[in-house]
Amino acid sequence: AALNDRLRSQVSAALKEGRVTPTELCQRCLALIKSTKFLNAYITVAQETALKQAEESEERYKRGQPLGILDGIPIAVKDNFNTAGIETTCASNMLKGYISPYNATVVQKLLDQGAVLLGKTNLDEFAMGSGSTDGVFGPVRNPWSYSKQYKEKCVPKSHSEEEESNWVITGGSSGGSAAAVSSFTCFAALGSDTGGSTRNPAAHCGVVGLKPTYGLISRHGLIPLVNSMDVPGILTRCVDDAAVLLGSLAGHDPKDSTTIQDDFKPFELPNLTDISKLSIGIPKEYNVPGLSSEILALWSKAANLFKNAGAKVVEVSLPHTRYSIVCYHVLCTAEVASNMARFDGLEYGHRSDMKDSTESMYAATRREGFNDVVRGRILSGNYFLLKQNYEKYFVKAQKVRRLIANDFVKVFRSGVDILLTPTTLSDAAPYTEFIQEDNRTRSAQDDILTQAANMAGLPAINIPTALSERGLPVGLQFIGRSFQEKQLLTVAKWFEKQVQFPVIQLEEVKRHDTGIFQDQKSASFS
Amino acid sequence: SSLAPWVPVVGLEIHAQISSNSKLFSGSQVQFAAPPNSLVSFFDASLPGTLPVLNRRCVEAAVMTGLALNCSINKKSLFDRKHYFYADLPAGYQITQQRVPIAVNGSLSYSLCIDNKMSQMVTKTVRIKQIQLEQDSGKSLHDDARSQTLVDLNRAGVGLMEVVMEPDMCCGEEAAAAVRELQLILQTLGSSQAVMAEGQLRVDANVSVHHPGEPYGVRTEVKNINSIRFLAKAVDYEIQRQIEELENGGTILNETRAFDSKLGCTVSMRDKEGKQDYRFMPEPNLPPLILYDSKSLPANMNHQQVINIDWIHERLPDLPSVKREKLVKQYGILPEHSFTLLNEDGLAEFFESVVKQTQMKPKKVIGWILKDLLSYLKQHSLTVKESPVSSFLLADLLNLLEKKEISSTAAKQVLVELWKGEGKTPLEIVKEQKLELLQDQKELEQICQTVIDGQENEVIMMVLG
Repeated sequence: AALNDRLRSQVSAALKEGRVTPTELCQRCLALIKSTKFLNAYITVAQETALKQAEESEERYKRGQPLGILDGIPIAVKDNFNTAGIETTCASNMLKGYISPYNATVVQKLLDQGAVLLGKTNLDEFAMGSGSTDGVFGPVRNPWSYSKQYKEKCVPKSHSEEEESNWVITGGSSGGSAAAVSSFTCFAALGSDTGGSTRNPAAHCGVVGLKPTYGLISRHGLIPLVNSMDVPGILTRCVDDAAVLLGSLAGHDPKDSTTIQDDFKPFELPNLTDISKLSIGIPKEYNVPGLSSEILALWSKAANLFKNAGAKVVEVSLPHTRYSIVCYHVLCTAEVASNMARFDGLEYGHRSDMKDSTESMYAATRREGFNDVVRGRILSGNYFLLKQNYEKYFVKAQKVRRLIANDFVKVFRSGVDILLTPTTLSDAAPYTEFIQEDNRTRSAQDDILTQAANMAGLPAINIPTALSERGLPVGLQFIGRSFQEKQLLTVAKWFEKQVQFPVIQLEEVKRHDTGIFQDQKSASFS
Repeated sequence: SSLAPWVPVVGLEIHAQISSNSKLFSGSQVQFAAPPNSLVSFFDASLPGTLPVLNRRCVEAAVMTGLALNCSINKKSLFDRKHYFYADLPAGYQITQQRVPIAVNGSLSYSLCIDNKMSQMVTKTVRIKQIQLEQDSGKSLHDDARSQTLVDLNRAGVGLMEVVMEPDMCCGEEAAAAVRELQLILQTLGSSQAVMAEGQLRVDANVSVHHPGEPYGVRTEVKNINSIRFLAKAVDYEIQRQIEELENGGTILNETRAFDSKLGCTVSMRDKEGKQDYRFMPEPNLPPLILYDSKSLPANMNHQQVINIDWIHERLPDLPSVKREKLVKQYGILPEHSFTLLNEDGLAEFFESVVKQTQMKPKKVIGWILKDLLSYLKQHSLTVKESPVSSFLLADLLNLLEKKEISSTAAKQVLVELWKGEGKTPLEIVKEQKLELLQDQKELEQICQTVIDGQENEVIMMVLG
């Protein structure tokens, strides 16, 4: 089996038939992680425990009793999910060395199904950012920076200069997870999505990034950014795999009071052939200033693809889209200020040496533990929560949030099934260019196309669509109705099949895994 | 100036610890005086990623209490975060109900003796503004010797009901009586054990004074009150302090003061919070709390999943005021008697038990209970449970009295002997001490004759006048 294989139809079968063992898979992934270390996708590699899990999985396969499709499958987890016994840092000095005593529910579910936890992936500190450049362990590099496709399109320079100055960002904040999946070091990864943090890096790294409906998957153990918007995100190389992961993670968790009570039934995705009953909405407000002409053209082409295949494609309006940035800014910073109040150095995490008084210890700890981005958001958030500002900012933002959510309700009520939009404004920027602007500016720019779905709690998915002129991935986003993941993924899968996004051609991967480049389709969408 | 009358105004904020097995939002145990930090769940310690899960029993306790205090129960109430930094607050915020609490607009009736005469009781009412559910904080101890603060999180997250009493009271006695009645109600309901000494009932008093017809004065908040007796003292002291301050031309600061029980006065607390802005924000991890009544209960709802206010209402036990009425009616005792009976834990049950086991009328039994039994217990700091004289023994004694086998003087003597708890029955003691009343007329005449015979001179003197 190849690292590029699909979980349900290929890898699972190979494992069951013994054509490949969990240990082999694990070892291949670990080796690849080592040889792609320069990507800085992983903060912690849990080599020993992973191999142990792989061995145990192997025993189960030998007995003919695998726990399910995920048994033996190497998975990576964003470092803002609690993993018992394995460091959880949130890429922050505040939690460097923090070993949580419990597993996040989603992590526990994966482990209970036999998945092999390879390690914790890199992110922006406390998931604040859209580049995965602002964590204490350094930025994550987009694997496509080292792809044949990208290098071919670059203006030729000396080899080392090219690699060092031209590498592009992964997007964020789940950049490590996206890079890990993109570079074949794991079959799937968990990210988180608050304003686009799973879909954005998925688009830049050419992988599938699913943001499920709020309340479908438990947040217990996910270190929160914005409790009312956070969801665990799923990153895979194909839509079918995302459906497998969704099936293993979704469902009510008594430990998370914001998960819905309804039973969730895992599903397999049908192969759509007839899309004539489908109605695709194209929200005109998503044609934002700053949207690259390339992506605009791709979006248009995609819309036509649906039309030509018989679907109804209509222009729709989400009039309050333009207020979502400021609304998000107020609500996000307010919840951040609140959520970060627990980091005081007393119970866990970093504690400053300052001993003059409790207050001074708190202040020094928080100054030393948090980066500027986090501290900036805390200060803003506290400002908005002050008694004299609460009505003006927080309550008002809640009302605007309701209006944004209602935009979607109206559109879906009018008969539209799925919305089709771009995911990002452009392809991935070179790191040197990206850091010219500060985190807040970048986040405000980059979140515009993705954050409304978080405001409204809706499911949304990025599908890698084509390569840009620079040879970098560009994705498109589908937004669905609440809890209608099956419909969303079914349509996404149809689209994925049509566009035939090319496989990344990475030297490192080629060296390690000859199986990857079998079955490559030559046709591509762009 | 000292001629113009002052109207003192007293309101109370009472925190009652909910009697439950586990905490308000987490499964760790609730227990008094456990080893430090032995009852702390991941959520209580505010480990990142943990989430609150509402404890059903705590909600039921608050609903019961709200109903007992004649409140409207809000079918939808909300949770909020109240932010401040302190060592005993691990998350940096407390989860409370600031916007819409679980119960509002109730009342509590309590009784006072006028001029300390039990026979003149008057009933007063205080309005209950609201009852809200909230988390208790942990405990911090300052170790000045080693310049450190010791933090114990056992109490962090325990469920509290905050009961807010409107400023309808006017003095320490009223405040004390109101709190005492609340305590009895909570104990009857079982929603809180309300023992002040164990921190299960904490009272803060808001005190101000003004001249009649003028607006209310600036109020101070008095904390650190550890018993009902101290509550009365603290309130009265603070009223006096404010009056003196104002009469001397001073002003009252809107501040927090601590009651010093040794000195019997209130002391300004170094305002550790200043003019705190708590930056209230809705608690995003808890959906609104929805309660149902029989009308609004959806047909297919799982009984386990919902709380039905009417169901709870139907099952409320008799509240103290009802119990007292019943005692008065059933036994013909005086209202003030019923107060004393209920004021002492287990005394009413003891009384009823004795009444059952004796032919003596309850109206007579009550005297023995309230005078003889109770005063003895008080003298020796015993609770009714610890009484060496059981209801059986006392009933036995009273039966002897009722059957005129002994005099009441003799009965008191027997009682003294019974207190020793040596296991003798009243009859045994009577026989031992020869306390039997003589029933035989002839025997009585014989004794009298013997006495007269022995005192010849005195008899002659008496006969001669």
